[in-house]
Amino acid sequence: MSAALQIRHLTKRYGSKLALDHVDLRVEEGSIFGFLGPNGAGKTTTLRILTGLAKASHGSVRVLGHDVAKAGNDVRAEIGFLPDVPGFYEWMDAEEFLRFAGGLFGIEKHTLDERVRVLLELAGLTDVTTRIAGYSRGMKQRLGVTQALINAPRLLMLDEPTSALDPMGRKDVLDMITSLKGRTTVFFSTHILSDVERVCDTVAILDQGRVVVQAPIDELKARYGASKVVVEVEEGADALAAEIGAQPWASAVERPENGTIAVTVSDTLAAKRAIPAMVAARRLALTRMEAGEMGLEEVFVELVGGGQR
Amino acid sequence: MKGFAAFVRKEAVEIVRTWRIWVLPGILLVFAVTGPLTAKYTPEIIASVGGSQMAAIAKVIPVPTYVDAYAQWIKNLSQIALFAIIIIYGGLVSAESKSGTAVLVLTKPVSRAAFVVAKALVHSTFLALTVLVGTLITWAGTLLLFGTAPAGPLFAAAGAWLVFGVLFVALMTLLSVLVSSQAGAAGIGLGVYALVSISAIWEPVAKYSPAALAGQPMAIAAGQGVDVTWPIVTSLLLSAALVTLAVWAFRRKEL
Repeated sequence: MSAALQIRHLTKRYGSKLALDHVDLRVEEGSIFGFLGPNGAGKTTTLRILTGLAKASHGSVRVLGHDVAKAGNDVRAEIGFLPDVPGFYEWMDAEEFLRFAGGLFGIEKHTLDERVRVLLELAGLTDVTTRIAGYSRGMKQRLGVTQALINAPRLLMLDEPTSALDPMGRKDVLDMITSLKGRTTVFFSTHILSDVERVCDTVAILDQGRVVVQAPIDELKARYGASKVVVEVEEGADALAAEIGAQPWASAVERPENGTIAVTVSDTLAAKRAIPAMVAARRLALTRMEAGEMGLEEVFVELVGGGQR
Repeated sequence: MKGFAAFVRKEAVEIVRTWRIWVLPGILLVFAVTGPLTAKYTPEIIASVGGSQMAAIAKVIPVPTYVDAYAQWIKNLSQIALFAIIIIYGGLVSAESKSGTAVLVLTKPVSRAAFVVAKALVHSTFLALTVLVGTLITWAGTLLLFGTAPAGPLFAAAGAWLVFGVLFVALMTLLSVLVSSQAGAAGIGLGVYALVSISAIWEPVAKYSPAALAGQPMAIAAGQGVDVTWPIVTSLLLSAALVTLAVWAFRRKEL
């Protein structure tokens, strides 16, 4: 597979502050790539460099095979971009803005007519005739995503497309992104873990300007997510937790609530066999037992050490 | 090139659909209508408001002619219209950077050069059209009130001033790239205007530089046959240089 984005040793300094520190990334064409990180990690700075809005202090960035530092209109013609806070000409309405955006790409009238119709429908703005000045944040965000699609881009870059949206607005935008799967490459930054888990196939986690990991989500969970088993008993949890903790397959035991024991295990099968036997031997009343992999949230917390700041 | 054309169209439509259509044309058209009237009736106005003393003053005021009406128009262009240009265009580029609209445009196939040049071109054309309409109104009003209104001196003077106005559109384009605050850019623009006006006192500057266009249009309007070829040439060259500098600065700017 070829790379839609290839970043090598990308470094960005603002005076003495190091915003990006030797970032390496590769985004395969056709993937939906989640660029995850807490606020202030450097996600927006990366996207600004990728789109040519800012310059790298060091390192190289190739977008669709072109060096972004030297790329001109040819590369911009093939990308779609939604900034974190999109700014619109508020005297226009949605259709006018989409036609204006299409005009900047020189899209032929017949094609543009059809795309504007489809995109207005996709954004749920077909019958909205008011000026953009009167739009809600959600409407602006949906219009922002659709204007980024007007040129049917090979690479769509979205900066925090779902932040500040209500649950319905988030669902709409995520559905729009999911619908693009297999048709274009989507690179989107977010600090919302569940969004990444829901739509992305690959993820990179950025923390304090450094990429701490990049991998397909499943591989990431498998690599960092030593499996977790949760046991809940009516009483006698302390003694049971101590016995479990002494087993060779138990690498950590936590007590999140009264009666609940969360065990990080190295051998899920051994734990699944042994724990019910221990509960039975102690004649404890078992409320529940769950064995599942670590979620992305737990991987994230483990990697960035302390979660969102 | 298609992106450039679409952006030029946007700039032009934006003028018509926002406050821009009211401010500069509003100011100029009011002066275009009132200029000949003020010139014609100044003696009567002074006599009617001031009693016997003012009536005596009114008597010594020479009988107004079409030249006074022309002088009103050119004086208003040289002062109030220029101040309006400086203030209005202080945020020509920076307002789009601040609002985020520049980001949406410049991540599409529109170069930074096209963005800046389109703005300078469209707003210079807008100024030219506004001045043309204002000058036509002044000429018609003068003809109506004074019976005589030779078009040549008036249009030559307005044309010479227009070159000076375009120079300030170019200057404000550059300043609005360099200074993020509209008020800050306007302040510097006013400072430059003051310096240019003062420098016109020095003979070589007055003869060859754009500074001549700060005052000479008044003489042209009075039919004094002043040659402003050099100031026009240097103004146009300087305007092109300022826009080029604006493009260079905008290319280096991070958005």
